[in-house]
Amino acid sequence: MKHEQAKKYGMVIDLDKCTGCGACMVACMAENNVPFKEDETNKLDSITWMRVYQLTNGKPFPDTDICYLPRPCMHCEGDHGHSPCVSVCPATATDYSMDTGIVSQIYTRCFGCRYCMAACPYHARYFNWWDPVWPNGMEKYLNPNVSPRMRGVVEKCSFCYHRYQLAKDRAFMEGRRELEEEEYQTACTQACPAGAIVFGDLNNKTHRVHQIVQPDPAHAGRPKNPKAFRLLERLGTNPKVYYLSSREWVRRSGDHYLPHEGPGGGH
Amino acid sequence: MDDALFPKGVKRCPLPEFLMKLGPVVALLIWGVVAMLMCWIKGLNQTNMNDAYGFAAWIWADLTVIALGGGAFFTGFLRYLIGKEKLKNIINFAVLIGFICYSSALLILAIDIGQPLRGWFIFWHANVHSMLTEVAFCLTCYFGVLTIEYLPLVLENRQIDRVPFFHNLTHHMHEVMPLFAATGAFLSFFHQGSLGGVAGVLFGRPFAFREGLFIWPWTFFLFTWSAAAYGPCFTIMLAKITEKVTGKRLIKDDVYDLLAKIAGWMMATYIVAKIIDTWYWATVTAPARGMTFMQFYSNNPLYGIWILILEIVIGGVIPAAILLTRKGRNTPFALMTAVVLGVIGVCVNRWVMVLQTLAVPVLPFEGWPMYYPSWQEVATTLLPVAYGIILVAFSYRYLPVFPQEAELNPIVSEPAAPPAPAPDTDAEPADAELSPAQA
Amino acid sequence: MKMDRRSFLSFLIGGAAGTTLSPLPWKLTDDLAIWSQNWPWTPVPAGGEVTFVETTCMLCPGGCGVTVRKVGDRAVKIEGTPGHPVNDGGICILGLSGLQLLYGPTRVPAPLRRAGGRGENHWEKISWDDALALVVEKLAALRENRLSHTLACISGTDGGTVGRLMERFLTAYGSPNFIRTPSMRDAYEMTLHLMQGVQASAGFDVENADFILSFGSGILEGWGSPVRMFRAHSAWKEKGVKVVQIEPRLSNTAAKSDKWLPVNPGTEAVLALGLAHVILKESLHRKEFVDFYASGLDRWKNEVISKWTPEQVEAVTGIDKSTTVALARSFARADHPLALCGRGKGSTPGSIGEFMAVHALNALVGNINRKGGVWAVPGPDYIRWPEVEMDATAAAGMQQPRIDGAGTEKYIFARHLLHRVPEMVTAADPSLVQALFILEANPYYTLSDSALLKKAWDKIPFIVSFSSFMDETAQNADLILPNHMYLERYEDVSYAEGFNKPYIGLAKPVIHPQFSTMHAGDVILRLAKALGDPVQKAFPWEDYEGCLDDTFGDALETLRETGYRVEADFAPGSGYPVFETASGRFEFIPEEIRDAGMQAMVQPQGEEPAFPLILIPFDSQRLANGYIGDPPFVIKTVPDTVLKGDALFVEVHPETAKAIGLSEGRAALLATPKGQARVRVHLFEGIMPGLVGIPTGLGHQAYDGYLAGKGVNANALMGPVEDGASGLNAAWGIRAKLSRV
Ligand SMILES: Nc1nc2c(c(=O)[nH]1)N[C@H]1C(S)=C(S)[C@@H](COP(=O)(O)OP(=O)(O)OC[C@H]3O[C@@H](n4cnc5c(=O)[nH]c(N)nc54)[C@H](O)[C@@H]3O)O[C@H]1N2
Ligand SMILES: Nc1nc2c(c(=O)[nH]1)N[C@H]1C(S)=C(S)[C@@H](COP(=O)(O)OP(=O)(O)OC[C@H]3O[C@@H](n4cnc5c(=O)[nH]c(N)nc54)[C@H](O)[C@@H]3O)O[C@H]1N2
Ligand code: SF4
Ligand code: SF4
Ligand code: SF4
Ligand code: SF4
Ligand code: SF4
Ligand SMILES: [Mo]
Repeated sequence: MKHEQAKKYGMVIDLDKCTGCGACMVACMAENNVPFKEDETNKLDSITWMRVYQLTNGKPFPDTDICYLPRPCMHCEGDHGHSPCVSVCPATATDYSMDTGIVSQIYTRCFGCRYCMAACPYHARYFNWWDPVWPNGMEKYLNPNVSPRMRGVVEKCSFCYHRYQLAKDRAFMEGRRELEEEEYQTACTQACPAGAIVFGDLNNKTHRVHQIVQPDPAHAGRPKNPKAFRLLERLGTNPKVYYLSSREWVRRSGDHYLPHEGPGGGH
Repeated sequence: MDDALFPKGVKRCPLPEFLMKLGPVVALLIWGVVAMLMCWIKGLNQTNMNDAYGFAAWIWADLTVIALGGGAFFTGFLRYLIGKEKLKNIINFAVLIGFICYSSALLILAIDIGQPLRGWFIFWHANVHSMLTEVAFCLTCYFGVLTIEYLPLVLENRQIDRVPFFHNLTHHMHEVMPLFAATGAFLSFFHQGSLGGVAGVLFGRPFAFREGLFIWPWTFFLFTWSAAAYGPCFTIMLAKITEKVTGKRLIKDDVYDLLAKIAGWMMATYIVAKIIDTWYWATVTAPARGMTFMQFYSNNPLYGIWILILEIVIGGVIPAAILLTRKGRNTPFALMTAVVLGVIGVCVNRWVMVLQTLAVPVLPFEGWPMYYPSWQEVATTLLPVAYGIILVAFSYRYLPVFPQEAELNPIVSEPAAPPAPAPDTDAEPADAELSPAQA
Repeated sequence: MKMDRRSFLSFLIGGAAGTTLSPLPWKLTDDLAIWSQNWPWTPVPAGGEVTFVETTCMLCPGGCGVTVRKVGDRAVKIEGTPGHPVNDGGICILGLSGLQLLYGPTRVPAPLRRAGGRGENHWEKISWDDALALVVEKLAALRENRLSHTLACISGTDGGTVGRLMERFLTAYGSPNFIRTPSMRDAYEMTLHLMQGVQASAGFDVENADFILSFGSGILEGWGSPVRMFRAHSAWKEKGVKVVQIEPRLSNTAAKSDKWLPVNPGTEAVLALGLAHVILKESLHRKEFVDFYASGLDRWKNEVISKWTPEQVEAVTGIDKSTTVALARSFARADHPLALCGRGKGSTPGSIGEFMAVHALNALVGNINRKGGVWAVPGPDYIRWPEVEMDATAAAGMQQPRIDGAGTEKYIFARHLLHRVPEMVTAADPSLVQALFILEANPYYTLSDSALLKKAWDKIPFIVSFSSFMDETAQNADLILPNHMYLERYEDVSYAEGFNKPYIGLAKPVIHPQFSTMHAGDVILRLAKALGDPVQKAFPWEDYEGCLDDTFGDALETLRETGYRVEADFAPGSGYPVFETASGRFEFIPEEIRDAGMQAMVQPQGEEPAFPLILIPFDSQRLANGYIGDPPFVIKTVPDTVLKGDALFVEVHPETAKAIGLSEGRAALLATPKGQARVRVHLFEGIMPGLVGIPTGLGHQAYDGYLAGKGVNANALMGPVEDGASGLNAAWGIRAKLSRV
């Protein structure tokens, strides 16, 4: 069967550029019909598919430094297509697409056991503890391309999969099979005022993500770019979200190191 | 007024007294049911769980009751497959406890999931790679087996047994029971293991993750082993408590001694394996991920190294040492201490495998989340306890759970009553001699 | 057939088995599963034709172009417009949340008349006719009594047609009291006026600068046009442009900068003068500019050289003298160095001495009106309405001094001094303001010194809000005449903060008005008409759209198409421009303000030892702190180190906290000379010891449950500090005390 080359959609976020403004978080909420409650200050039950963390270097004033780190779902490939979360879901409600590398989440299949959340080391998965409620009239802005979720199921960043589908449809209508790089972009990438997020196909040498990251296929996609790193690289989750930073302490904050190890150590 | 329903040759308190004593337990049950309904109707926001503690008190309770219910499969395994005939005197009770534990586990799961009405998707859309799928299938099948094992006991109720159909049914069921016991043992070895696998496969959670054999992490084997070791402790503990509450001796000491001795050996070997496992994890598995042993036990107000000591030393090494000595087993206080410590040990083990696994920060820039259960969680967790007490009470009252009860408690004060019928033909006259405590 | 026990049992067992094996349980389970996926209370968004409408965001002075995605007649998403000169596809957190404001519960659904006491939030819906009649009756009576000047308007906007219509209305009616809300714009306009002799706003060619020296400007907190600044910041990162941030707290801007200089609060200007000292002493300045186009350098130089040696600067600012010297050198040696000021988002004007000192730095390196520098951008030129013909009443009213004193002898350079109004109103009897209009502003929340404000408010008999939202000001008004929200109306946006080219954006109705609202422009026209001549005569338009047509003429069509107009090749003069000061040159030390100009530092209110600490408000891109209250999405992004439940966290250095006996998360009482509030403490290594940092934008009392009651309003704890030279509010902090509770 002739099949186009499998894609591996991924993201690289430049932490030197990221300002922590939160536009990616809100772009995602607006695009994906993410619900909200009156009190969202308990961050342990607040649904934010994209969450911007604040990192600190732990040094005293005035050598203190902070850095923001936006965290969508990493769309982990795991060692052999075994994402931490996908392999554990008993109901096959989340899946790893070999075509796109996207980890999907099927809300109407999920029965809310939350095993996938226990499996995800990135806290990228969120449970709908409450019924989603939009104040009277506000449901008018809901995006029909993404179904609102019901209480009791897990949701997470989908790399705006519906945008992929829409782009594929459009391309198909125009008689094309392949998408141009800019035809499929996620809502957070599009919104980021700092242009800190770059999204595309890591397998495609013409895409910017590939060029920036230079993933090493021999080492499960580990970046060859010395400024690039992935979160918890050493767990073997094989994420498709990469980060760039010129600051050593930031790169080191992405993983655990034993006292004698430098970044990349332990291998 | 309900005398006719009592097993042959035993004495029971009057019905009103019985019901009155159960009153507080029923209140507890109702409290649990209210909380359960709130969780179903209003959703899991009734709990204190959150996105960091997606598994919490309930899953701990689930894993724990299943481990404690392990007495059923392991005693069955010993009796029917290894041929420890003596254990037939405790097997009914072990099965009853197992039945309670497993039905509770299923109930808790049904409350714990976000979409209970879709719970069956786990069977319908089963993902064979998931440990939880394995758990669900084995758990459900084994619950079926336990029901089949428990049913003959129910049918042995004096009145039911008078119906020839049921009498014959019971008889035939007893005949095929070894087959079910074997099936149950097989299923149990698996699902106890799968439950261990649930945490052990989480390669994103360095606290729980373990290498292993084929598709199974070491926790798979450790869980089965520990259930076999600690389940009988729980059975012994509850039997002893039942004796205290009823004020009667119900099981002969040699039966206890045999089960305790086997549990002791299981526990001793288990705890050695557990120590090796912990050692390997602390020196090889975790450091390969850049994490030091103490990282899992510091910088937070609760999860300290004391947990490991409580689990392994106090809840493992010490009870195993007691149970391995004849003196320990035969001193009532020491035996009780050992089984209680053992039960605590396995509870702590299941607790860390669920709660601490989730609490340990994995992202380097996150902290330890803390959690305490809401009253709804406490109530629903106590619900099975209440239900268990009630089921034990009724079973004890109306079913011949303890085959040795009549023998150990001859009815002498009521000459008016007809003499107890001759004991079962297969009763071993040697029993009395074997039991030094009776001497 | 007789039913015996046996057959009954068989029946039961058989029935149970049969039912289990029949399709019934499966069917029921399946139905249940489907029902569980279709809970009627979980909305299913309707589909429809997808269209895109380009418009201009009006939620802040950023002037961004936004594209609204519609499905059928619903607006479903706001995105940045690619290729737009200001934001080129980027968008901020607030702009993204616009639809929550459009459809949200905070909208005022119809004209409302107060039913209970003021602020009690009891309202009665009335018709537009009745509402307008009420206003007309009141205004007519005032005018009758020659009290036309006691009508005042507080407006968030003054450049576009709506602001200008309002100002024109006041003129024709006979009141000089059109007051724009304060911001750093006031200080920059005054700076350009004094030093360059122009009426213009400051534009910054940030894209072409190659060294950024920011005196506390929140480049990443919302200063200027936020999205544009973010984009510029990323471009700086790519090009290796150095950014030096001067402020006592590690803001996002400071964290992202190449060098953060934690200066003692309020002494930024001294550092600027110290840098000037080094530049002049070492002759690092651009002679080709300073020698030919500037005047007053010698006098200024003498002052700077004698007063602000690096040692003296170190003593005041806490910045090491070698750092000052090194910084001055690298700044002066850059090709296009740019110095910025205006703290945080720039929502308070600040001291004119400080602005002039920073602007003088730009002049020293010749970076005025040239690539990578500060440009004087002339105000909008498209509004060329005929002069208002005033009758005697109007003329008399216009002769009255403004209530804020702007333009009077003491405040000769100031145009708007809103912070003075509460004091003036409270002081006089009867009240100097008999009727107050509020347009696109929320002074009841944004003005500092809440206690005084409330007193003044009580003295104003008639308050009319034009707000689309139930904000604090609307909630405390007598009458609300709700404007269409920006996505429902036409309006020209005459300005993008800090943008260095003349720019007009057009807001377009993306969607039909969702409520019984009316365009504020139409309300003004209808009021004028109802008041009759001579007021009516000043407004020769049928309706607001007619006015817009008339104002733009043919240009409106192109504006409608593109959504904006920008003079892309605008250059403020060729080479160095001719300045319009008396000397025709750039004035380093304008004669008019000579002494005051050197008073760069403003002391905070309050005394030690009662108030041993200093409270500084800090802005964040995640919290709007102006007219617009944050919608739910935005509040959702606020970290739990800022807000937890309803409690607000203030930032304190761990040592400072320890001295008071406070640990992380502890509750404390924060007191200033202006008020007190219960807060919680967040320990932060990035704030200078001795300071308390308070986030701005929270502590709203109005709006909805998603915003009201959360946190503390920083403005309530602050008071204005009048800059001696300009009269502008130069408060940057206030003395404070933090104690355990
Ligand atoms: N353009 C385009 N057309 C396609 C396809 C494509 O990829 N692109 N794929 C084709 C294929 S394979 C399929 S299966 C069909 C699917 O076609 P549809 O069935 O139309 O699929 P969706 O657009 O996914 O969902 C339809 C609507 O259901 C709403 N919805 C989501 N959850 C629920 C729920 O629980 N209850 C209710 N009542 N509504 C809900 C969604 O918000 C959405 O508005 O489309 C086919 N047509
Ligand atoms: N998040 C999310 N996930 C979904 C859904 C959703 O709505 N949201 N919908 C679900 C549904 S209903 C469906 S049916 C599936 C669809 O899921 P898929 O079947 O994976 O759908 P596509 O990715 O559209 O198509 C698969 C591949 O076929 C290629 N292809 C197209 N035309 C041809 C052809 O003529 N020949 C060959 N050999 N290949 C071709 C495409 O380029 C693409 O690589 O997605 C499911 N997953
Ligand atoms: S939108 Fe961009 S700059 Fe803002 S927080 Fe997200 S990634 Fe960072
Ligand atoms: S980040 Fe978490 S949810 Fe996303 S693929 Fe990885 S494990 Fe799964
Ligand atoms: S919560 Fe849903 S997606 Fe996650 S493992 Fe359970 S069924 Fe699968
Ligand atoms: S890729 Fe899409 S779904 Fe994921 S965080 Fe970004 S906007 Fe949200
Ligand atoms: S920066 Fe201002 S104008 Fe631009 S999108 Fe944000 S709120 Fe709107
Ligand atoms: Mo489909």
